Amino acid sequence: MMAAFELLAFTTCSFVAVAGALGMATTMSMFRSGIFLMASFIGVAGLFILLSADLIGLLQVMMYVGGFLVMILFMVLVMHDPGGAMMAGMDLSPLERWFSKGLTPRGAADAGQGGHGHCEGHRDDGNRHDGHAIAHGEGRHGHTQDHSGGAMPHGASDGHADHGYAHAEQGHGHGGMDTSMVTPVRPLAAWLAVAAGTVLVGMLVLRPAWPVSDAVPDPDSARRVGHLLMDKYMVAFEGAGFLILIGIFGAVLLARPSAHPDDASRAARVALDAKPEAVRNDRLAPLTGSGGAAVEPGQHGGNHAHEGQLR
Amino acid sequence: MGIAAALAVLAALLGGAALTHMVERAFVRAGREPGPAQGADLRHALELPNADRLLLPAGPVVALAGVALAMVVLPLGPGLVGRDLGLGLFYVIVVVDFVVLGLALAGWGANTPEGVEACYRIIAQLVAYVVPLGLAYVGVIMMARSLSTVAVVDAQRGLWFVVLQPLGFLLYVATGLMQSYRAPFLEPFAASLGGGVLGVAGGWSALVWRVSLTGVLLVVAAVGAVLYLGGPSGPWLPGWAWMLAKTYGLMALMLGLGRLVRPLSTAEMLALSWKVLIPLGLVNVLLVGGLILLGVGSGA
Repeated sequence: MMAAFELLAFTTCSFVAVAGALGMATTMSMFRSGIFLMASFIGVAGLFILLSADLIGLLQVMMYVGGFLVMILFMVLVMHDPGGAMMAGMDLSPLERWFSKGLTPRGAADAGQGGHGHCEGHRDDGNRHDGHAIAHGEGRHGHTQDHSGGAMPHGASDGHADHGYAHAEQGHGHGGMDTSMVTPVRPLAAWLAVAAGTVLVGMLVLRPAWPVSDAVPDPDSARRVGHLLMDKYMVAFEGAGFLILIGIFGAVLLARPSAHPDDASRAARVALDAKPEAVRNDRLAPLTGSGGAAVEPGQHGGNHAHEGQLR
Repeated sequence: MGIAAALAVLAALLGGAALTHMVERAFVRAGREPGPAQGADLRHALELPNADRLLLPAGPVVALAGVALAMVVLPLGPGLVGRDLGLGLFYVIVVVDFVVLGLALAGWGANTPEGVEACYRIIAQLVAYVVPLGLAYVGVIMMARSLSTVAVVDAQRGLWFVVLQPLGFLLYVATGLMQSYRAPFLEPFAASLGGGVLGVAGGWSALVWRVSLTGVLLVVAAVGAVLYLGGPSGPWLPGWAWMLAKTYGLMALMLGLGRLVRPLSTAEMLALSWKVLIPLGLVNVLLVGGLILLGVGSGA
């Protein structure tokens, strides 16, 4: 019973770790990429907990959930296409398509429900068109697709991108599509990753002897770690803290308004100490399809309706 | 044994969330921002044409998992604890982060201006509360000399920590409201955002959000009762009755105090957190250290 549970937990955690890493490298959405990496590390944390290193496991979860969310926020600020709406409409290898499932390419939304059905149909039929897949037509489609198809470990060269997307993109004229995902170096990178993985797994399998210890890990590891940090390694611990503090000071110093006038174009509006403007008040066209969830600001009617629904 | 405990924890979460919902309705009036307690359409699922169809449904599931995991270590009575982990309190801090993760996933996944803005505000709120919240735990952990929730309850047999550490208690009330997105800190769910993540949820996901968001308030109040009010210990009444009374008493106190001030924007909340609450937390740690050196609270 216990052994079966351990095996199940190990399988789950290692699957999450490996699949998360694979998804991180192949999905088209940068936001998803960060989330997949987080999932991968959480899987590793599960392995730590399985090895009775619960403190390390929890620390890992805390660091990666909190830290990665903030990191993703900064990445969204600087990325060109963080949601992958542009790249999801391109020709993808099966692995990439799998990890990008559910992304809505830009342009498909305007087609509404019909557009969705259209795309799905094309996605499922799985026929392999070459060429005329990307609408931006730089005269290089055949090349890139062949390379990438050969490179992905799952084989299956498919230069088929969804026709529906291609039409829609043409209509919107996304000429400057980000082609970083179809760079010619990608096959090389994929083969390199496979080779490195093979070498690592081989080293694990061919290692002659695994020392097995019967020692029970300290159940109160937090106390042990705390004593070590505050006792034996206090200088290093406090030094690291001091370094971070100085880093914060430096950031505050850099963010201070300087004595010299700034370039007017660089004045940051986000630093204003005012209440952010409500998104409702912007002058964008109203969203389609969100009518069903509209929550009335006047709360009395809403409350009644809601309580009725709960019963 | 393990499965029975898991079912009991789930039942406690669902019952507690329902009770929390009723308590919370009492504090929502017309003209006030309801925040996470707003009504939602439970019957109709939403059509969001641009949504990320993987992340959007993952959000409520992740959040609910975080709340359910946090319930495991809460002592609801003598012997009534899902699992007394040695790292209990640290574990609670960690797993409640999954609620933030879920909210960020759903906000981004909805791919509407309001949803993405709610995602940003949620993450900013995490940055605001996580350090002072940790400091509010630290004082108690120093006196109890343990991270286990049961050991913390045992350490308060003589005197509740709210008497010894009033500053820490105030800090916990403020950061607890931040952690549960309640009254002055409800910017991620503000009406100006159309309810944020809740505004883009419908059908089953609205229901799961309701359970997770009331559940996180329940967890915050219950952990507060364990940390500062002695948890399930008390005379005459059985342990679970004390725990119930303390949890919902603290919840009502927090919600009521939160309604006394006007809602703060995310920027104001960050300023409050980093300029006021974190220094207060450090002072509290210093005071508690002094008390421990004087021999208070250790032998009781």
